[in-house]
Amino acid sequence: MKILAIVENTFKEAVRDRLLIVLLVIGFIAIASAKIIKPLALGEETKIIKDLGLATITITSVLVAILVGGRLVYKEIEKRTIYIMLAKPVHRFQFIIGKYLGLLLVIFFTMTVMTGGFYLMLYITSTPATYSLLLAIVLSFFELSIITAIALFFSTIATPITASLFTFIIYFISNFTRDLKATAQISPSVIVKGLCNFFYYLLPNLSNFNIRNLVVHNEIINSTTIFLSIIYAVVYSALILCLASIIFQKKDF
Amino acid sequence: MSLKRNNWILSIAILILGWTTIFFLQNSIEKTYRRKLQERLVEEMMYFPSGKFLKPVLMEYQDLGADLVWLRSIQYYGYHLMTDRRYEWLGHIFETLTRLDPFFIAAYHFGSITLAWDARQPTPAIKLLRTGTKDNPLSWQLPFDIGFIYYSLLNDFDAAGYYFLIASKLPGAWNVLSRWSAFAFERAGKNEISRQIWTDIYNQTNNQAIKALAERNLALIQADEDIAVLQAAVKKYRTAFGKYPPNLYELLKIGYVKYLPKDPWGGLYVLKDSIVFSPKANRLRSGK
Repeated sequence: MKILAIVENTFKEAVRDRLLIVLLVIGFIAIASAKIIKPLALGEETKIIKDLGLATITITSVLVAILVGGRLVYKEIEKRTIYIMLAKPVHRFQFIIGKYLGLLLVIFFTMTVMTGGFYLMLYITSTPATYSLLLAIVLSFFELSIITAIALFFSTIATPITASLFTFIIYFISNFTRDLKATAQISPSVIVKGLCNFFYYLLPNLSNFNIRNLVVHNEIINSTTIFLSIIYAVVYSALILCLASIIFQKKDF
Repeated sequence: MSLKRNNWILSIAILILGWTTIFFLQNSIEKTYRRKLQERLVEEMMYFPSGKFLKPVLMEYQDLGADLVWLRSIQYYGYHLMTDRRYEWLGHIFETLTRLDPFFIAAYHFGSITLAWDARQPTPAIKLLRTGTKDNPLSWQLPFDIGFIYYSLLNDFDAAGYYFLIASKLPGAWNVLSRWSAFAFERAGKNEISRQIWTDIYNQTNNQAIKALAERNLALIQADEDIAVLQAAVKKYRTAFGKYPPNLYELLKIGYVKYLPKDPWGGLYVLKDSIVFSPKANRLRSGK
């Protein structure tokens, strides 16, 4: 019940944020631009419209997670509303989980609205909409669940700008972790191998969630991969939240 | 105090258990993929329309993009070298790479050598190198590589001599280049100059893949020379006895050869249907 109240409060606060509205408008413009690009695509319009739509949904949601999530806890500390919250019988970990679920709800809201816009654009441009497109968006949501947890983690230890920057860096690196593994495989040095493998498993492997390319090219998608990737997202997010709770528990206000 | 310590132990246990789960989950996800990691990484590059498109997309990070493509190109080459020896995307990869970083001499060098010898595409290799010479007019390596391909693969000794000569005049060029130019122009001793060039390449490079390629080609040259000697003896036998010898040992028995050499990989040369060959050399040449 206590967590639900924090979730509701976080959601309402984020939805009122002008930043979210600006990001949504930019996202819609990007999706709508497919209509302009279509005549220039030389027979590849279906691919381009789908690529553009799926990428826009993910990018907009990533920006929401990084920019809104990065200042979530810090704002409470700065405005001193945290004292009111912690004066109530709420455990600090409940506060973190409530904030996380609230932001995840915002991400879900953003993705749902953007998906609506994307399907509208598919309809307007007479592009066939397949079920697998939705699957790619669902996996992106689980990717976002990890990024949100990381943004919240940094929000407990850093200022909004620093937290957003750190989250963005982790997001950027986490898209290339497979190169770490590949480097470990070809490197003759035991130290390089060890370090590459260590960071490969330490950092989130966000490429697990990127099936956009396969979906657009109508490739077969392995359901076991999707199932395991979802479990991966749940476990990884829980771990980051656990770390955030430990740090938040130690914080003096 | 004890409660606090217990909380710490519990937290650390949760984190260790969590990351162990992540480790096993990630490995399980990888097992579900139909293709190996190296294949998938390179496959993604196939969706890149070309370096022309990537250049503006990467904005000011083209060098970093080039480095990533370089790492993947090595994985692509290594993977196919160890498996099917088919390199159909090698040209595309190096075209993309050198567009992103037109001054990446090592990429032109490695790309052209692997394209010419492994992918058996000497003409695209020369095209890649010529593109490189436009951006790097003072690099001796690029005209040298063009000359080497003309000499060894296309048997165009005039063109080879011309490019060796250009390379010899550029700053930092090997001293021996003018000699090679002369060799090429005289069209003398193809195996001899090839051996010399591969030996120099082997000694000058730090790239292990190029070293391995040089070693392989040196061994093939040695095999060619041994085969030429044995084949001449077989011809002599045929002239003397009106038939081909039943095996190579017969040539040794009647003194047509002083000894029966082993091929550079330690195997025996074989005589079959009047032709002398090394099974290993044939396998390497056919890419199996």
